[in-house]
Amino acid sequence: MASVSSTAPVAGSKASARAHSGVAPLRAGQGHSFFWRRLHSLSGIFPIGAFLVEHFFSNAFATNGAAAYNENVRFLTGLPFVFFLELFFIWIPIAYHAGYGFYIWYRGETNVGDYPWTGNWLYTTQRWTGAIAFFYMGWHVWSMRFNGVHLLTNSAAAFWKVQNEFHHPWAVAFYFVGIIAASWHFGYGLWLFAAKWGFFTGESARRKFGVVCLLVAVVFITVGTATMVAFLTSPQVAPPAEISTGAQIP
Amino acid sequence: MANNNTVLIKIKRQNGPDSKSYWEEFEIPYRPGMNVISALMDIALNPTTRQGKATTPITYESNCLEEVCGSCAMRINGRVRMACSALIDNLEKPVRLEPLSKFPVVRDLTVDRSVLFENLKRVKAWVPIDGSYDLGSGPRLLPEDQEAAYPLSRCISCCCCMEACPQFNESTGFVGAATISQVRLFNTHPTGKALKRERLSALMGDGGIHECGYAQNCVEVCPKDIPLTRSISEVGREVMKQAIGDLFRK
Ligand code: SF4
Ligand code: SF4
Ligand code: FES
Repeated sequence: MASVSSTAPVAGSKASARAHSGVAPLRAGQGHSFFWRRLHSLSGIFPIGAFLVEHFFSNAFATNGAAAYNENVRFLTGLPFVFFLELFFIWIPIAYHAGYGFYIWYRGETNVGDYPWTGNWLYTTQRWTGAIAFFYMGWHVWSMRFNGVHLLTNSAAAFWKVQNEFHHPWAVAFYFVGIIAASWHFGYGLWLFAAKWGFFTGESARRKFGVVCLLVAVVFITVGTATMVAFLTSPQVAPPAEISTGAQIP
Repeated sequence: MANNNTVLIKIKRQNGPDSKSYWEEFEIPYRPGMNVISALMDIALNPTTRQGKATTPITYESNCLEEVCGSCAMRINGRVRMACSALIDNLEKPVRLEPLSKFPVVRDLTVDRSVLFENLKRVKAWVPIDGSYDLGSGPRLLPEDQEAAYPLSRCISCCCCMEACPQFNESTGFVGAATISQVRLFNTHPTGKALKRERLSALMGDGGIHECGYAQNCVEVCPKDIPLTRSISEVGREVMKQAIGDLFRK
């Protein structure tokens, strides 16, 4: 492939510089975008998708009451090497997936206006749900992790902290939107992963797996909603001692 | 508004690669069964705009008039399709004709589509049979393989799939569905297989198969009903097999 040069002009377009120079031909065998793009695809399944499963499942402990929920948070925050687990399985993958995802979005030319077909809408929706989930997560991490009572050292305050946040209707709405966006993005992302990596190649196999992925998204939305309902309908728990005394939060 | 005996056509024109585009309107006599190409021929008979101004005939490409040569692709009412098979009776009026938007305009509705030819060369979309001695007759193709290959071989290089693709644009330099599908065709050919590795690694270069966002517009617009998304998944699988295999072998 060494003889192929990325600067080789398209035959017949050697004329003066044009306002619209056209799309460059394939840079056969050159560059690293293949690796980065496939890594983006993979990172969405593992570890981010795996983390999403864990996160929805762990939070669903709320449906078993405040004590069960806080016990689960204590378990998770007490995992060995929790700093590195978070760094390598959550922070870095999500930062990469989001960053490269916005880069992909920026370079695509959404055209659902002229071509309003299902696949094309899903293409566009995948970009919007990704963005919504990203901004939701930014706020979610800030408010749950870096603001207010520190859950890594105060796991007993976990249930109260979520309940406290749910006193704001806007927060409840944002959680709901975030859950839907993340669930859809993951479900369709799973389908895209299978289609692009060639796990399901035939039309009917791809369609059937599409139904499976739709179910995955629906299950996620259901579990997420049930968890929210548990927080909203459980009796209000008392704030942990250090907060009720006003020692940390005035 | 045109009356029942005439057809109103709006055409986006451009005198040369570097000139500005402008619109002209034509009102031509209605004839039963007319298509966009025959309408352009009617305009050429009497190149006068609807306002009565004498103008030049429209420049466009066409040849076979039966959707097999691939030369007459243009945007008709915003959507790419073959002009010779676009019956005026079935189109919303006034009919809007524009050149393909992702290829450099040569003049009026004629664009430079040589990027597809260039891409086909870069993936070596041919069966290598040239040599200094007689290679004898080629291997037999099983009927099933013929059946799978035939639909792929119907590609007419019209570039509709590339025009409609949100990922085919100047910032990605994506190779487009047609070339990927031709890789599948030649990689499944018993003699063409000889270049399989080279073709797959060409598609891993910048602008390669990974840029596909699976919007599936390509398969919707393809006038020859080529199973393009299936080709993308099949080739995607082969590309991944080779990429992962090379991690262990190379
Ligand atoms: S599936 Fe979509 S992104 Fe991929 S080549 Fe077809 S139109 Fe383009
Ligand atoms: S794959 Fe279909 S749309 Fe694309 S160039 Fe070939 S015939 Fe045209
Ligand atoms: S003129 Fe040949 S495809 Fe339309």
